[in-house]
Amino acid sequence: MEPFRTHRGQLALLDWSDVNTDLIIPARYLKRIERTGFGPLLFADKRYAPGAAPEPDAPEKAGPLAADFPLNSPTFRDATLLVVGRNFGCGSSREHAVWAVQQAGFRAVIAPGPGEGFADIFESNAYNNGLLPIELPDADWQTIAQATRENPGRAFATIDLETLTITVETQGESTPRAKIAFAIPEAQRTRLLKGLDAIAETLAHETEIARHEQTRPAWMTPTAPH
Amino acid sequence: MATTLFRKVWDQHLVVKSDRANLLYIDRHLIHEVTSPQAFDGLRLAGRKVRRPDLTVATIDHNVPTDNQLVISDPLSRKQIETLRSNCREFGVPLHDIASGRQGIVHVIGPELGLTLPGTTIVCGDSHTSTHGAFGALAFGIGTSEVEHVLATQTLWQGARPDTLGIEVTGRLAPGLEPKDIILAVIRAIGVGGATGHVIEYFGPAISALSMEGRLTICNMSIEAGARAGMIAPDDVTIDYLASGERPFAPKGRDFDAAAADWRSLRTDDPSTYDKHVSIDASVLAPQVTWGTNPAMTVDVTGVVPEPEATPFATASDARRALEYMGLRPGTPIEQIAVDVVFIGSCTNGRIEDLRSAARVFRGRHTASGVRALVVPGSEAVRKQAEAEGLDRIFVEAGAEWRQSGCSMCLAMNPDRLTPGQRSASTSNRNFEGRQGPAGRTHLVSPAMAAAAAVTGHFTDVRKLLSASA
Repeated sequence: MEPFRTHRGQLALLDWSDVNTDLIIPARYLKRIERTGFGPLLFADKRYAPGAAPEPDAPEKAGPLAADFPLNSPTFRDATLLVVGRNFGCGSSREHAVWAVQQAGFRAVIAPGPGEGFADIFESNAYNNGLLPIELPDADWQTIAQATRENPGRAFATIDLETLTITVETQGESTPRAKIAFAIPEAQRTRLLKGLDAIAETLAHETEIARHEQTRPAWMTPTAPH
Repeated sequence: MATTLFRKVWDQHLVVKSDRANLLYIDRHLIHEVTSPQAFDGLRLAGRKVRRPDLTVATIDHNVPTDNQLVISDPLSRKQIETLRSNCREFGVPLHDIASGRQGIVHVIGPELGLTLPGTTIVCGDSHTSTHGAFGALAFGIGTSEVEHVLATQTLWQGARPDTLGIEVTGRLAPGLEPKDIILAVIRAIGVGGATGHVIEYFGPAISALSMEGRLTICNMSIEAGARAGMIAPDDVTIDYLASGERPFAPKGRDFDAAAADWRSLRTDDPSTYDKHVSIDASVLAPQVTWGTNPAMTVDVTGVVPEPEATPFATASDARRALEYMGLRPGTPIEQIAVDVVFIGSCTNGRIEDLRSAARVFRGRHTASGVRALVVPGSEAVRKQAEAEGLDRIFVEAGAEWRQSGCSMCLAMNPDRLTPGQRSASTSNRNFEGRQGPAGRTHLVSPAMAAAAAVTGHFTDVRKLLSASA
């Protein structure tokens, strides 16, 4: 996994609540057995004009964009930081949703409500892929959302995972608009900073795993051969 | 010290424990074709093996055509299914394949085969893994990176221990009301993010009175309230279910007795120890129907489509987008909404009791003109059982399609789907935009309510039909 230390990028806003993973990536695209190619499929049923979404086996071949989808705004074309509403990523466990967000160019997603900004499985999947999910108190989230609304395309932020701060700025202005502190679980922060492979880390606990296997009740292992 | 069912199962599975992270041992890893190919690729790239193939089990469900399971014309679906077969062969993972007699929706076959046991930890790359919590298992959905992690290590890292939400369901369901109405009412009461970060424990007289099938329906939709998992403490109903019928993988004889003794200790000592508590009264419920684009957007069948300003848990602009997508106007009585398609099936409501309750409504009636009704058993075993009881004949005589087992129209990954603009009454779990097909419009209901919509052509309070036929 690629380490995450600091990142500066353009902010984009999708101010909808309860965005589910079917919306982030419709189920028909889950027929792909690859881990790549999901960027053009992000929000496919909202992003493209009716009937213009790509086929699952040809993600690059899309028709015209939809006129009214907020992220289609040309001002967000270079965005790498996605600001979203509460309970983002609810519903299906599909990790393809995180792959799509990430492969569309985003490095972090910022949602309102500590403990409520992201659905649990989406949040785990994001960490496992090095996509940083940041939950902020409502007022701090509003500061960032408002900066993006007022200056679309010119609102930027620098996320520093060492100092756990977000510096919000408007392009062309010399002083930052806001400096916001955030928190993520320490174990996840360490993993992201170092870009650790979780499986390798776990295999270092072989002794404890083997000990647990010796002490677990016999009935917990299926009795008949499959 | 007084503790909860969840806490007992959690503590018994901790391999490594710290303030920051907990490594949990996994007793059952269920696999299906959609979320596993990239995980097996990861193992191959790193030269890793499946640590415990004996605790891993696979089936094929999402892509399966339900008119003829053996004819898979979509090349991508066929490739995904073939990939699972070859991965299972290569890594020694047992597979319950199409036409084996044991194929079905992964969350239907687990309990049926006796793989789902109280006090175990169960994961699957599928959010509806919460279903298995009906047995007092700690069961939750995971992403593909975690699937790979469990395949390689039989463990999973978790953050801090989740909080618990106790949901007490008092009273008793009235005739015509079903477990689906309870869980829709719960989600309506707490919202689609109401249980985020929490494990739900369901308890109370209305829960104790339910069969295992009903409890599975309730736990299945825990994820629709954002819960990490949903659990119900095992009791005589649970133990009888595991002792009866064909449960090839459940313990037998003296092993069963030892297990059952363990299972009886799996209960919450004192409900006041839950971090949060919610109570609902089952006896006052009316049949529930969703009107919008998430499962909390629910009203009574006797009600009307709400005003966007009066929708709990949604902003007015979110609610207006939902109304527009659904093609509905506020104030429209729910019973005046006509349907094009009725879907009875899924891991929520594709079990034998669900089919029996739909059949009670279909018996002696016929689907309304222009309505297409699909009845899709959740597994090959459910299909066989339903046919032994003659339910298939009731469905066919009523003009419904009696199909083969799979996820079917719950999600648009196989040929069963809505066409743009079509409106469905569906016993599945998600009324999200596009869930049953691009631009399809989904209303979630119980199996009895779905059958009532099929025979009348619009949403109908099933209690009227049941009293008419009684």
